[in-house]
Parts: sequence; structure tokens; C-alpha cells
Amino acid sequence: MTVAENLFENLKLELRRGCLTLAALVALRSEHYGYTLRKDLAERGLEIEESTLYPLLRRLETQGLLVSEWREEEKRNKRFYRLSPDGEQTLAQLLAEWQRINASINGILGDGILDRSERE
Amino acid sequence: MELLDRYLQAVKKYLPLARQEDIIAELRANMEAQLEDKEAELGRPLLQGETEDWLRKMGSPMVVAARYQPQRYLIGPTLFPVYWWVLRMAMAWAAIAFVVAAGIVVPLVQHEKLSLLGTLLQIPWVLFMTAAWVTAVFVALELIAARYPEKLPPLAGRAGGWNPGALPPVERRTADGHKPRSYAQAVAEIVFGFLVVGWLLLVPQNPYLLLGPAEAVLQQMPYRLAGVWMVAYWWVIWLNVFQLGWKSVDFWRGAWQEPARAQHLLFKAFGLVPLVVMLQVRDQLYVTLKNPAEQFAQYGQTLATINNSVHLGLMVVTAIATIQLVWDAGQWAYAAYAQRAV
Repeated sequence: MTVAENLFENLKLELRRGCLTLAALVALRSEHYGYTLRKDLAERGLEIEESTLYPLLRRLETQGLLVSEWREEEKRNKRFYRLSPDGEQTLAQLLAEWQRINASINGILGDGILDRSERE
Repeated sequence: MELLDRYLQAVKKYLPLARQEDIIAELRANMEAQLEDKEAELGRPLLQGETEDWLRKMGSPMVVAARYQPQRYLIGPTLFPVYWWVLRMAMAWAAIAFVVAAGIVVPLVQHEKLSLLGTLLQIPWVLFMTAAWVTAVFVALELIAARYPEKLPPLAGRAGGWNPGALPPVERRTADGHKPRSYAQAVAEIVFGFLVVGWLLLVPQNPYLLLGPAEAVLQQMPYRLAGVWMVAYWWVIWLNVFQLGWKSVDFWRGAWQEPARAQHLLFKAFGLVPLVVMLQVRDQLYVTLKNPAEQFAQYGQTLATINNSVHLGLMVVTAIATIQLVWDAGQWAYAAYAQRAV
């Protein structure tokens, strides 16, 4: 891996870290266990490694944003997660922040495109 | 599935005891569901190689288990800036204290196995031990802060309770466009200052440190230095100690970047004192004969020439030093006037 590629990978990792948490919280407005959540996110274009997602769920639960319960499904005990009331509140704040950042980035990108077209 | 069991067993060993069973049960449920999906897709059980590839993609047991642990640091980002500052100060002062102690103790203790050079060569070890102790203390503080955050309010408050008014002034380049003194430069000046004082203190008992091989030649000559040289010598010692003390205080206060011009002038003015002391000597007697009664007839004329030459040399040096001092003082006064006019 070249230095530039390595730098890109590190920056991508930083960018994804917060996005993955947000995506998991959004997806857990409906109940999931670890594997189906991963599948659900992957189907929507957001691939997450198992070794990243499963510990993330635990951490979010410890922080009070998720609640979980063990339940039997298809003859197997699974741990199901969903958003807690605190999690819903935090998610609403995070989504507002996400929209704000998204709008700002789009605005900056729009300005950039205008600047370039003006130069040309 | 034996390989999956072995994998989960390996992960379990790296997990905290209290949460092992719970985490492994959840991980097993997720992985078995994934395995079922894969097998349903293929229409057959996974082959050994395929299972190994799948587990390899999942990550090594140690890495997977580590992700279930809270993020850990030996010294975290909150404490690290304080640690770095304390480490630099501790190492600088350890070096200074050791050099001073060596400069005082080694000449006093006349022990055949204790040499100044040998003692000074221990400095890297002293610095290493200082760094190790400082690091150990901060690792302990980090552990305490992680477990009992309420026990360390002063350190927590250090980041939030700073005073913008106490910030050092903007670094200015010196008049000749050079950068201000660096931290390493300030430390080196103090350490070498102490070494010079130590060396000067050793000179009276060990003249070869100053004269080298010429000492043996001088021993054979009929001349010896007059007592005034010792007076001037002690003036030089005290001036060096005074300068070092001032520089050390500046260093301790964090004001080492650019020494005040007044301080520079004061040091230069004090530097004139030994010269003036030498010029005041009676009959310009800087060198005498070891045995005047017997040797005066033979060496008296040469002795007078030597003393006159030394006196003339001292006058020239004093004049140059005085002109330099006046010139610097004039520049300082002009700069102060120009600044006030702006």
C-alpha cells in the first residue's frame, strides 16, 4: 500500500466511524440481532465488519442508547437490540447534526463547482 | 462445527472474565446464523478451507476480543500534554542537578574510582531512569483517573481552567533575524554552564586542565603567578555561578526563549569586574619569581617586561570590553526610544 493509499484508508476510517454509529442507531429503530442488522446495512450499501459491528452494539448499549434482550428465534437464542428512549432522543439530535453537516458540505461543493465553472 | 468452536474458545480467552459467556453466546448466535446463510446459498456445508477463509476474514481472536474492551491507553490524551511537559522539565532538571552534584562531590571526594568524566558518563542512565519514573507515575495517574475520575479534579481542571492572559507573548525574531533560543539550546547552555564551573573549580588543583602539556614546562620556569590571579579567578567563578543561577531561574519560569537585553548588559558589565580588579593591582605585579632573593638579578628585567606586557594586554582587553558594553547599551537605549516613539 502506498503512502497516499494508506492516508486515504485512514481518512476513510475516520469518516466512516461516526457514520456507522449513526447508521446502526437509525437501523435499530426496529429490532435486530447482530447478524440481521449487518445484513440489513449491507443490503443498503453500508458494509460493516462483524468484528466492528458486534462490539459497537455492546458499547452503545453500555452508553444507554440501546436496550437488548435474549430471545429464542428459529430454535436459537439471540440477543435482540433496539433503540432506547435515550437513544431515540440522541438519534434525533445526531440526525439534525448530520443534516446540517450534509447541507454545509453540499453548499461548499456547490460553491466549488461554481468557482471552477467561473474560472473556465 | 469444530473450527468455529475452537475459534470462539480462542476469542473467549482474551475477554474479561465477567462478560465472557455473554459475549461468546452472542457471537456464536451471530456466526452460526451467518454460517447457515452461507451454507444455504451454496447448498452444501462449507469446506475446511472455506471456513478458514471466513474466520480469517472475521479477524484474529485477539483482535476480535480487543474490540469488546474499552479503549485503553497507558497515558491518555487528557493527561498526555501534562505528562510531556513534566517529562521535559524533569529530564532537564535531573541533568542539571546531576551535573551540579557531580561538579561538587567528585572534587571533594578524592576517591581513586571516582572520576568526573566517569560520573558524567552516567547522565544517559540518569535521564533514562527519570523518564521511566515520570512515565510510571503518569501511568498510575491514568489508571486512577480512569477508575476514580472524581479523585483527580486538579488535573481535569488544568485543561479547562487556563488563563488566556497568562499566555507567553508572541515569539519575536531577534534583531538580527534569528530565531529565539530553543528549549534544547536553553538546557544545553545551563548544563554546559555547570560543566564549565566544575571544570574551573578543578583548575587550581589540576592546572593541566587549563594549560595541558605546557604545565610541565611552566613548572621548570622561575616564575609564578601573583595572588591577584586567585582574586580574579574567584570573581570569574562567582560571575559564572551568578549567570547560571539567573539562567536557571529564567528556565524554571519558562522565560528562556529570549533573555532580556538588560540581563545581557548586566552580565557584560559584571564581566568587567575581574579585569578592573587585575588593573588595580599594586606595582602591576602579575607574575613574581619563585625565589626573588636569588633569581632577581638574573630574571628581574624579563619579569618587568612580562608584567608590563600583561598590564598592557589587560588594558586593551578592558578597553575593548568597555567599548562593547557602551555600544550595546547605546543600541538598547536607541531601540527602547524607537519602540516608545512607535
